Amino acid sequence: MATLSQPLPARDEPRRPNIATADIQLPAVRDYEQVDREIVGTLHPTVAWFIGLGIAVMFLLIGIAAWMYQIYSGLGVAGYNPPVMWGVYIISFVFWVGIGHAGTLISAILYLFRAGFRTTIYRCAEAMTVFAVMTAGLFPVLHLGRPWKFFWLIPYPNWRYIWPQFKSPLVWDVFAILTYLTVSSTFLYIGLIPDIAVLRDRENISPIRKRIFSVLSLGWRNTDREWRHFARAYLFLAAFSTPLVLSVHSVVSFDFAMALTPGWHTTIFPPYFVAGAIFSGIGMVFTIIIPLRKFFGLKHYVTINHLDAAAKLCLFTSLVVGCAYMTEWFVAWFSGNEFEQSFFANRIWGQWWWASAILYTCNMVLPLSLFSQRLRRNASWLFILSFTVNIGMWFERFVIVVPSLSHEFEPWQWTSYRPTWVDYAILAGSFGWFSMWFMLFIKQLPIIAIAEVKEIIRPKLRIQHAHGMTPAGEHFDFEPETPGEHD
Amino acid sequence: MSTEQEASPIPGTAANGVKRREFLKVLGVGTAATTMLGCASEKVEKLIPYLVSPDQTVPGVSTYYATTCRECSVACGLIAETRDGRTIKLEGNPDHPVNRGALCARGQASLQGLYNPDRYRGPMVRRNGQLQSLTWDEALQIFAQKLGETRSRGAASAVFINQHESGSFPGFLDAWLAGFGMPAHLSYDAGADHAAIAANRQSYGVAWPRLDFRAARLVVSIGADFLDGWGAMVPQQLDFADARADHERAPRLIYVGPRRSLTGLNADQWIDCRPGSEMSIVRMLGGQLTSQQASQATGVAATVLDGFAREFAATKPSMVLAGGGGADGLEVALAANALNQSQGNVGVTIKPNEGYLGFDRMASPAELRALAERMNSGGVSLLMVRGANPAFTLPKSAGFAAAMAKVPFKVSFSSYPDETSEMADLVLPDHHSLEQWGDAEPVRGTISLQQPTMDPVFDTRATSDVLIAAAKKDPGSAARYPMADYRSWLISRFPGGAAGLAAALPRGIASGSLGEPTTARPVPPVRAATPIEQSSGNMYLVVYSHPFIGDGRGANKPWLQEIPDPVTKICWQTVAEMNPVTAEKMGLANGDLVAVQTSAGSLTLPVLRYPGTQRDTVAIATGRGHTHAGRYAKAGFNPLEILPVAEDRAGGVAFVSTKASVSKAGGYAQIVTTEGSARQHGRGIGQAIAIADLRAGRPGEDPGASHVAEAPQQSGSEQGAGEPAEEMPGDAPHQFLPGLRSPVANDAQGEQGDPKSKDKGMYDPNHWSGMAKRRWAMTVDLARCTGCAACVSACYAENNIPTVGADWQTGKVLPDRTGFGANILRSREMAWIRIERYYEGGEDGGADFDARFVPMMCQHCGNAPCEPVCPVYATYHSPDGLNVQVYNRCVGTRYCSNNCPYKVRYFNWFGYGEPARPQYAFPEPLNWQLNPDVTVRGKGVMEKCTFCVQRIREAENRATAEKRVLKPDEFTTACAASCPSRAIVFGDAADENWTVTQLAKDARAYHVFEELNTFTAVVYLKKVNHPTPAAAGTA
Repeated sequence: MATLSQPLPARDEPRRPNIATADIQLPAVRDYEQVDREIVGTLHPTVAWFIGLGIAVMFLLIGIAAWMYQIYSGLGVAGYNPPVMWGVYIISFVFWVGIGHAGTLISAILYLFRAGFRTTIYRCAEAMTVFAVMTAGLFPVLHLGRPWKFFWLIPYPNWRYIWPQFKSPLVWDVFAILTYLTVSSTFLYIGLIPDIAVLRDRENISPIRKRIFSVLSLGWRNTDREWRHFARAYLFLAAFSTPLVLSVHSVVSFDFAMALTPGWHTTIFPPYFVAGAIFSGIGMVFTIIIPLRKFFGLKHYVTINHLDAAAKLCLFTSLVVGCAYMTEWFVAWFSGNEFEQSFFANRIWGQWWWASAILYTCNMVLPLSLFSQRLRRNASWLFILSFTVNIGMWFERFVIVVPSLSHEFEPWQWTSYRPTWVDYAILAGSFGWFSMWFMLFIKQLPIIAIAEVKEIIRPKLRIQHAHGMTPAGEHFDFEPETPGEHD
Repeated sequence: MSTEQEASPIPGTAANGVKRREFLKVLGVGTAATTMLGCASEKVEKLIPYLVSPDQTVPGVSTYYATTCRECSVACGLIAETRDGRTIKLEGNPDHPVNRGALCARGQASLQGLYNPDRYRGPMVRRNGQLQSLTWDEALQIFAQKLGETRSRGAASAVFINQHESGSFPGFLDAWLAGFGMPAHLSYDAGADHAAIAANRQSYGVAWPRLDFRAARLVVSIGADFLDGWGAMVPQQLDFADARADHERAPRLIYVGPRRSLTGLNADQWIDCRPGSEMSIVRMLGGQLTSQQASQATGVAATVLDGFAREFAATKPSMVLAGGGGADGLEVALAANALNQSQGNVGVTIKPNEGYLGFDRMASPAELRALAERMNSGGVSLLMVRGANPAFTLPKSAGFAAAMAKVPFKVSFSSYPDETSEMADLVLPDHHSLEQWGDAEPVRGTISLQQPTMDPVFDTRATSDVLIAAAKKDPGSAARYPMADYRSWLISRFPGGAAGLAAALPRGIASGSLGEPTTARPVPPVRAATPIEQSSGNMYLVVYSHPFIGDGRGANKPWLQEIPDPVTKICWQTVAEMNPVTAEKMGLANGDLVAVQTSAGSLTLPVLRYPGTQRDTVAIATGRGHTHAGRYAKAGFNPLEILPVAEDRAGGVAFVSTKASVSKAGGYAQIVTTEGSARQHGRGIGQAIAIADLRAGRPGEDPGASHVAEAPQQSGSEQGAGEPAEEMPGDAPHQFLPGLRSPVANDAQGEQGDPKSKDKGMYDPNHWSGMAKRRWAMTVDLARCTGCAACVSACYAENNIPTVGADWQTGKVLPDRTGFGANILRSREMAWIRIERYYEGGEDGGADFDARFVPMMCQHCGNAPCEPVCPVYATYHSPDGLNVQVYNRCVGTRYCSNNCPYKVRYFNWFGYGEPARPQYAFPEPLNWQLNPDVTVRGKGVMEKCTFCVQRIREAENRATAEKRVLKPDEFTTACAASCPSRAIVFGDAADENWTVTQLAKDARAYHVFEELNTFTAVVYLKKVNHPTPAAAGTA
C-alpha cells in the first residue's frame, strides 16, 4: 500500500471525499465471512435477471436475423452510400474495442500503479473488456462483403503460399484484436482462480457445478506457495497487458491514420484513440457498475469513493480527448492544406454538424461537470453522464468515419449516408450479444474479486468491533452508508 | 482473366471434408441428371447457334461482322463482335466514311434492343381483347386476308407508318404498297429537326449538309445540339473535336438558346436568350436589328450582344446552325442559312455536296397529326406500323392513340412492345436490325451494308420477308415477288450481284448508289402555334429530346436509363430544370415537386436547379414515362403529355411553343443524379488553359488547392502572380514520363530497387514475359472531350457492368429510397468510367460559366493507395503497370475504395449477376450480351476499370502466337475505341512509338491530384479555353 505524502488527520479521513485513490477503504466490510456471504450471494438468479437475460437474447436474435438477411441479400441492405464504404459496423467496431480498454487499464495499469480504487471494480471492468472485445471482433467480419471468407485475413499455412498483405492495417487489426482477446481473457481467468476456489468450496453446491469449478480453479488449495506464484503470475500478466492497452487501439487507429483520406491521415490518431477508448471504457464501467451495486446491494463494496476516483480518471481522459480535438482543428488550420481545411469546415458546419455537436457536447462539455466534487459523488449523475459519454464516443467514431469518407478529394463523389434498419438491428444485436455474456457472467462468477477484497479489509482481530477500522488502526462507529453520497 | 462466372462458393468442398473424388462424382451425376431433365422439358438449343457456316465459328474466338447501325437516321457503320453465335459488342466500323470507327451511346445500346427482355417473342393476334400467340403461318394468313379485305373495300384507306430509315427498304415498301393499291408509307422520325431539314433543302438543296468545323473560325449554334442528336451526331462530333484539337485554328463556339444542351456546355460562350426570341438574334447578326433591339427581345445584355455581333461580322468563315424546335423554327433556320450564304460559308464550312442522305423523305409530325384526324373520322381501315411509336412521340393532345383505337384493324411490325404496338390487333414482330439484311446510303456514293450478325433471338421475322410472304399469298401481287426473300431481292439489285455483295460484306461498305430520290414530301397544312408570348403562364416551357433515350426509343434499354444524361447527370428520372436564381426566388430546392401546367395538361415533377437554363424557362426532357414499353421504360414522366399541339411551318412538333405556369406542388422527390458537388473547389481535377496562355507558353490558370498543398510555405493570398513557372503542373517537367513509373512504383513493382537481390520475379525487366517493360497508360484530351458518354456505354457493354437503377433492384430497406434509381440515390451506380461535369464561374447563376467534362476511371497509379491496404492481396500491381483486382480473392473490406483518392472503385452491394435475385441486372436474354472474356462479378466484391485487361492479354497472346512484338497502337480499350471525339488514347507509355507516349509529353499534360504521389497512368490534357474577346474588353 502506498503511503500518503501528507498524513491526514486519521479521524477525518473516511469522511473526506477527496481521498487519495490508493487508500480507499471498505469501512462497512468487516470480515472474510461477510465478503464470502455477500458476494457469493449475488450469484443467485432472480426473476429480474431472467427478464434481463431474455431481453438481451432477444436483441441478439434480432441482430442475428438481420445479419442473416444481410448475408443472403448482400451488403446493399445496409445503408452504405459509396464512397462511404464504411458505416455503422466499423463505427461500432471501434466503439466496442474502445469499451474494451477500460477493463485492462483498470485491472492491469492501475494494479501496477497501486491504485486502491480498482479493487472492487476491476473484475466487472475486466469481464466487460473481454465481452466487449468479443463483440468488437464480430464487426470486421460482418461488415465484409463476403464474410464467409474472413479467414483469408489470417496468415495460415496453405498449399498455394498465399499470405495476407502484411502492409494492410486490417491485418494488423486481426493480430491486435486476437492478441488482446487472448491476453485479457487469460488475465481475467487468472484473477478468477482463487475466487473460483471459493465458489467450489461453497455448501449446497450441485456436484456438476462443483466438478466444473474444481477444474476451473486448477485445484487451488490456498497455500502460501500458490499465493506466491499467483501474485507473480498476476503481476507478470499485468505488466504484459499494459502495453497492449496502448497498442490495440493504436493499431485500430492505424486503420484510419494509414489511409490518405482527409480527416483520417493524421499522426495524432494513436494517442487520441487510446485516450478516447479509456474515456469510453470508463463510461461503460459506470453504466454497468452503478446499477449493479444498487441491485446487488454492493454499495458498501463499490463505495462512492470508488466512483469518485474513477470519475476523476474519466475527467482526465475527457480533457485529453478534448485536447486532441483541438489539436486536430489547429493542425488542419496550420497545415494550409485545402483538402484538410475544407474537410474540417465541413465536419463542423457541413451536413454532419449535428453529429459533431453531439460529439463535442458529450465528450468535451458535459464531462467538465466532473470538476464539481458534488457531481462526482452523485451516482445518478455519473450514470446519466456515462450514457452521454457512450453516445458521444459512438458519435466520435461516426464523425471520423462518415464525414471523412463522404467529403473526400473528389467533389463529384461527395455524398451522404443514412443507415438502414439492418444497421440498427445489428448494432442492437451487438448490445444483446454483449449483455447476454455479461448477464451470464454475473450469475456464474463473482463480479467483485473476493480474494482481493479480503486483502484490503483488516484481518479479523481478537476483539470484535461492531464498526469499521481506519488504515491507521483506529476504530470508528459503523455507518451503513458511506458519507458524502448524494443520490 | 477467368471466364468462369464467379458464383457463391460450393458449401463444404474442403471445410466439411468432402473428398475431391466424391465431389466430382456428385458433380458428374448431377450434371448428367440436369442435362437429361433439361432435354426432356425444354427446347433443344444448340450450344453455339450457327449463323453462317460452321467453318467460320471457332468456339471462344470472336467473329466480326460488318453491318449498319439503324438506331437513328444517320446509318453509321458497325463491326459486330460475335462470340459463339452471339453478338456481344458493337464497335464503329473504321472503314466507314460516316463514323470512322466511333460509335455513340445509342449505337452501343443497340445490343440491349437486340436482347431486350421485353421483346415480342413471336407473332400475336388480339382475341377477346388480349394479345395471344399464334404461329407465323396463322399470322400471315390473317394478314393476307386483311390485306385482301382492305383492297376490296378501297386500299386508299390503308396506311403504313415506318420508323424512318434510308436505304432500299422504303422503295421496296412503297412498291409493295402500290401493288396492293395502297398509298406510299409515312416515314416517321420524331427525333429529327424537321424545320432544319426543310430549311436546308430550301437553302442548300440537301437535307443535311456536312458541317466542316475545321474550316470555320466561329460556330454559332442557335439551339442546334449538333454534338448530341441534332443531325449526324457522330460525324459532327468527330469533325468538331478534330477542329478544336487544332488549338491555333480552332473555331470558337457560341451557343444561343434558352437551355444549354451538351453542345451548349461545350460552347465558349452562352447567349441565354428567351425561348422564342432566337429570330431576333439571327436578325441582329444579319444587321436587321441593333443590339439594343435584340436585347429588348431576348433579355440578354446589349453589351454582350454587341460583342457577339461584332465578332460575327469580323470572323470569316463562320457557321450558323439553327435548331431548337421553336414555333418559328423554319424561319429561324432559313434566316440562319441566309446568314451562311451572305457570309460565304456555303461550300466552305457548310458542304451540301458531302451531305448526309439519311434525312430525306421524312414524313413530318404534321402528317401524323393529320392522319390522327383522318383516323378519328373513320377514314382509315387498316393501319400498319413498323418501329415508329406515334402514340407516344406525338404530343398527347394530338390524340393519336385515341384516334388509332378507332381503326378497325391495326398491324404492328414492332420488335418491342410500345404504346402504339400495344393497341395493335396483329403483331408481326420484326427482326432487330442486327438480325436482318438491309442497306443504306449514308453519304452519296457509299452503300452501307446491313447483314445479320446472329440467328434471331426470338421467333421474329424480318418485315421485308413478311411483306414478300404476304404478297405471295395474294394472287394479284404474287407474280411480282418471285424472290425467296428480301436478301435475294437485295442481291439481285446489288451491283455485282451475289459475288459483289460477298466481296463487299467483310468491309461493310461498297461504292455505288441506291438511287434514292432526294425529294421533299409535301407538308400538309400545319397547325401553327400562337405566339409564345400570348400563351399564359409564368415561365417558358422548353421540351427537348433526351440525349440517349431520344423520343422514347431508348427508354427500355437499361444502359441508356442508367448512364446519366451528359448535361444534367440525371438518370432514371424526369425533372423540371430551372435556373438556380429563379428556383431560389420561388423557394424551390432540388427535388421539390412543382406542377407544370399548360393549356394541354399538368405534370408534377421534381425541380433540378440547372444553371444552364435561362431564367424564365423550365426545361423537361422527352423520352421517359412510358406506359407500355417494357419494364425499364416506366421510369420518369413524358412532357409531351402537356405540350399543346403546335407545329412549325415545316410540320415538325414545336417543342418550344408555350408558356407554362409553374408552381410549387408540395412534396419532395429525391433527384436521381450521380453528381456530388458540381464545383471543383479549386482542386484542379478538370484543368483548362486559355488559348493565349497556351500560345505564349504560360502555365495558365492556377488549379488552386493542389498547389497550396504542394507549397505550404506560401500563404494563400500570395499565390499566383510571382509563382515560378516550374511549379505549375501544366508546365511540369514530367520527370516520371515517358514511363510514368515512379521511384516508389519501382519499389512497389518488386525488388528492382535492391541491386543485390537475385529474386526479381515477374517484375524483372528481363523476365521472359517482357511484361515489366510495359506501362499501360492513357491520355484524355479535355480539349477534345465533349462529355457525350459514349465511352461509358462502351464500357458497360465490354465489361459486363450491371445496371442497378431499376426499382426492383433495391433492397427495400428505407422508405425514402425507393422507385427507379433508388440504388443511384445511394451512389451505387457501377460505371467504371464516369464523366464528371464541373462548372467554373457563374456562381451567381449567370450565363457566364464554363463546363469541364472529366472522364474519370481507375488511374492505375504507379503508387496506388488501394494496394497496400487490401488485407488479402486482392488488389496488387501487375508488372506491366496495371492495378489489378482479383475478384475471387476479394473479401469485401472496401478499404481500397476508402483509400482511393479518385473514388473509382465500385462494390457489388447485391448479387447483380445472380439470376435468382431481384437485383439481377441481366434478365434473359440480356445476359446473352455478356462478354465471356470478362467475369460477371459476384456479390460482395470490389470492381473497377481494368484498362480492358482482356483486350491487352488478347493482343499480347495474338502477338505471341504470331511470334512478334505488339505493334504500336495495335489495339485499344473499349472506351477509346468508341469515343466519337477521339479524346481517349490508350497505349504503352514505356514505348516511344505509341501515340499515348507522345501525347503524354504535351505541355497541357497533368495528373489529377499529382501532389498525392500516386503517379497515375492516366494523363489528362488541359481543356483549351477560347474566351470571349468582348469580355476581355468590357469586363
